[in-house]
Amino acid sequence: MQHRLIQSVGVAWTLLYAVFIIWIYATEPRTFKEVAAGAEIAAGTYQIDKEKFATALQLFRQEKFRAARDEWSRADPQQQDALTQFYIAYAFYREGWGRVYNDDALFRQGLEAVNRAINLDGALKVDDADLQMHTPAELKAELEQGAERSVDDLNPLRVLRQRK
Amino acid sequence: MSERILSRNRALLRFIALPMIFLTVALLGGLRVSAEDRVFVFVAPPLVTLVLATLLMLLFVRGRLIDLKAWLTSARPALENGAHALTLLALFFASAQAFNSVLPERGLLFWLFSFFFLWTLWNNQFATFDAKRLLRSLAVLFGTAFVLKHMLLATLYAPEGGWLKRIAGVLLEGVSLGTLDAQAFAPATGYISFFTLALYVAGLVLLPRAPEKEEAGELQRQFPQTDETTIISNSTTD
Repeated sequence: MQHRLIQSVGVAWTLLYAVFIIWIYATEPRTFKEVAAGAEIAAGTYQIDKEKFATALQLFRQEKFRAARDEWSRADPQQQDALTQFYIAYAFYREGWGRVYNDDALFRQGLEAVNRAINLDGALKVDDADLQMHTPAELKAELEQGAERSVDDLNPLRVLRQRK
Repeated sequence: MSERILSRNRALLRFIALPMIFLTVALLGGLRVSAEDRVFVFVAPPLVTLVLATLLMLLFVRGRLIDLKAWLTSARPALENGAHALTLLALFFASAQAFNSVLPERGLLFWLFSFFFLWTLWNNQFATFDAKRLLRSLAVLFGTAFVLKHMLLATLYAPEGGWLKRIAGVLLEGVSLGTLDAQAFAPATGYISFFTLALYVAGLVLLPRAPEKEEAGELQRQFPQTDETTIISNSTTD
């Protein structure tokens, strides 16, 4: 009976450890901190740092987009929160937007962030009066349009458009 | 120590300690620490290490380090066979990762090391081995590869090395027409590799050739209609 118990515990423990190793090699964490954060995600207990998120939002409203993005990255180091990724994309949009021309590199990074937000939560709707686009789909369309090169880029009336 | 305690300890070793040891080797065998930013780099086992591990498993069976028929036999309950299969599977992946730990990550040196390992293991398939000699031979094989990779090559390619070392590294690259392409890692990588190999060899030393008679006694208690001698003879002659 005791042998059977040891065997059962051994099999269960071996399988768990093997799954952990496969998970480690699949996610390739770079630090012990990332291992812990990854484990939190796997267990469904991952949470962003709300204090850092709020600080980043203040910086965003003061138009300090780079600092805001930096703070949001620290608030959501595993890039697992749709709202944070949406705001990061929005910060890229606002910084990259130009009356005469847009910064394509920033728009592309914005697209990456908004795609992450869509993958995490496709139905996300952000109630923020400061923003004119409230869903990742709207933001994605705007970023894609901004990053595309077309004849419309030569339209002089473009200077009259407004940043969203 | 009573027979019961001895039997329990052996079961603990076989079903819990050994899989843990081999899985830890499997975990650490692909772990490197980056020289630039000191972060973990996980290197999945290349295909060649799986081939090498297969050859090594064959060698374990041929060298009687593992009596496969005693480990996996129809005379044992399914759970015990399953636990044994998991231990052997863990040993296979530990072997693959032990090779991964001492193989250079890329370039000509990776292929050179792989070739020498393949050559040695292939030759050993046709040599007469006993378990002790096999263990000694393996310790020397891994020890040599460890010294070459983590001491000799690591010193030559270390970013903080002196000018003499750097010149030697550049000369070596020049002679090999830049095909060596060795990757530099933090010194911690060598320590991890050393610990991994030590753990692997310790696991091999602890690995019983065949499950002991105590378990046969346990089987006898579980299946009283079966004769103990039949179980033992089945497990060795199946």
